[in-house]
Amino acid sequence: MSLNFGRLLATTVAQLRMTFRRRITLFWSLVFPMILMTLLGLLFGRSVNAGDLVVARPVTAAAPRAMVTALEHTKGLTVKTSPDAATAVKKVKDGDEDAALVFVRTSDGSYAARLYTSNTSATQAGILKGIVFGAADRVSIAATGSPPALQFQALSVDSSSLDYIDFLLPGIVALSIMISAVIGLATVLVDWRQRGILRRLKLTPIPLAEFFAARIAASLVVAVMQVVVLLAFGRIVFGIHISSTAWAGIPVALAGCLCFLAMGFAIGSTVSNPETGDAVSNVVTNPMMFLSGVFFPVAAMPSFVQVIARVLPLYYLANGLRDTTVRGLSLTHVAGDIGVLLAATAVLAAVSLRTFRWEPRT
Amino acid sequence: MPARMDAGAAIEVQGLTKRYGSHVAVDSVSFSVRRGEAFGILGPNGAGKTTTLEMIEGLRKPDAGEITVLGERVWPDPRRIQARIGVQLQTTSLFDMLTAKELLELFARFYLQTDAAGRAARALAQVGLDAKGGDYAKNLSGGQQQRLAIALALVHDPEIVFLDEPTTGLDPQARRNLWDVIRSINQEHGKTVVLTTHYLEEAEVLCERVAIMDESRIVALDTPAGLIAALDADARVSYTDSAGDHAVYVRDAQATVLDVLEAAREKGETVQNLAVKGADLEDVFLSLTGREYRE
Repeated sequence: MSLNFGRLLATTVAQLRMTFRRRITLFWSLVFPMILMTLLGLLFGRSVNAGDLVVARPVTAAAPRAMVTALEHTKGLTVKTSPDAATAVKKVKDGDEDAALVFVRTSDGSYAARLYTSNTSATQAGILKGIVFGAADRVSIAATGSPPALQFQALSVDSSSLDYIDFLLPGIVALSIMISAVIGLATVLVDWRQRGILRRLKLTPIPLAEFFAARIAASLVVAVMQVVVLLAFGRIVFGIHISSTAWAGIPVALAGCLCFLAMGFAIGSTVSNPETGDAVSNVVTNPMMFLSGVFFPVAAMPSFVQVIARVLPLYYLANGLRDTTVRGLSLTHVAGDIGVLLAATAVLAAVSLRTFRWEPRT
Repeated sequence: MPARMDAGAAIEVQGLTKRYGSHVAVDSVSFSVRRGEAFGILGPNGAGKTTTLEMIEGLRKPDAGEITVLGERVWPDPRRIQARIGVQLQTTSLFDMLTAKELLELFARFYLQTDAAGRAARALAQVGLDAKGGDYAKNLSGGQQQRLAIALALVHDPEIVFLDEPTTGLDPQARRNLWDVIRSINQEHGKTVVLTTHYLEEAEVLCERVAIMDESRIVALDTPAGLIAALDADARVSYTDSAGDHAVYVRDAQATVLDVLEAAREKGETVQNLAVKGADLEDVFLSLTGREYRE
């Protein structure tokens, strides 16, 4: 029994029909992310003041200067200066300012940017950390380019993409791809097995691999649609800055979708009833949602969380999407993220093929 | 039992056995089904009917025995024969969000058939669901869902159709309607039909030959008329008197009834619940197993 392209196509179309006719699927893949985006956008959006940042003088070296310029271009952030580090930090302690930024020259000649935030508002501190780390990231990217000064000019034009909503949107897209793929495949697979649909399929000549290839193809179509629709939504409603390299987000989304389908397949192959499938999917996806830098930059999180984030596929999907769609980085830059996602796909697929069953557990 | 395999047989089963742990679900079952025949496996729940059928369909691997379908051995590679048979499983549920017609077209595609739409339309007509092609499977009634399951078994024009308890759970009217469908598949479309049922009447009405299964074995196999004739009785006479309930199988019901009444009058007692019933498969089951048949 071999693969047949016409049959694969017809089966994919049938899978897409099933997907789009199920309202709950549409809700999780498109409506829920839009609601989430709107809520978070209203709470932390560009119109909201991110806070006051005081920078300790003197700022002389090129890299720190570039970073301060980037911060000054950031909407919602007020940048002030103070004569020295001690005064700046004291202002945060006294509650006069929200954060203080101090540059320290390190032994190897580079500069370390130290950010002091008040611990009275964790949310605001998180946002400020995100913004400052984002700016530092930007400058270090610029530093790797050949003529740093020129390179930075190009980036500073784009620096308004540091707005929280710009940061948030690709993360929400990543999140929605994860939810659609994991929950979609895990519960569907368990349901098909428990209700005897897989047994019925086994009696027909379509190979299992071809049947699931059709399912995967349908999910990939949905993932691309999520990227396009949700970015368009962000552009129209929040005016986020979609970069010219945004198309490179598509391969990232496809790799991420494959990875989470494999995860859903692994869950669906292991559990015996749809309720357990749902529960396990939630247990797996919920922590990922908060630990992968979807809502706040991972750089702004405690170091142990940063370590955890780096083993979570959602981190790479969110990063890859953010780099390509709003930060203007090229496909080559996110090749590493795609590589990690595909490697995780291979591992999870291997696991699920070992545990796959046609028949309900008796 | 023929010693040699019949080349013209649709199905040939020899010494089929399936064990689950220490429980023997199917115990050395042998029978053959002719091409074009309507063949029934009748028995109470748990007799081993479905397991037998699913081994022939290639869904369950037998522990022992040989199965040949349309001249080909089913095991070890059942996929080859599966393209030539149509199966309605005992519990068939289908993709919820596809219409009956879309499901049939999809299944026709699975078999790489051309003109999927035409095949879907013909299969719908064969089971009398023409008007329901646009409905989602989950919105069909129980009887209509069974018809759809049968249509899915027919869409690739198989030579043999397997129906596992096709009318279980249906109301009497829906059951009778489905009988018409099954009869036309066998008689008008010339398909070999193998069905399992625990309804005695269904086996009697639909099947040319019936294998009666009880406790994992086939206890009798013949035409319904042949099975009843083997009882060596035409009727069952039952009545209640002071000694309790009685049921006797007799050749001459009239003489028996007269004897019973005469004896009662001599003793001066009254006979109650006197009934005479033509012998049927229920009586065959009782005489073979010593137990009343429970559907």
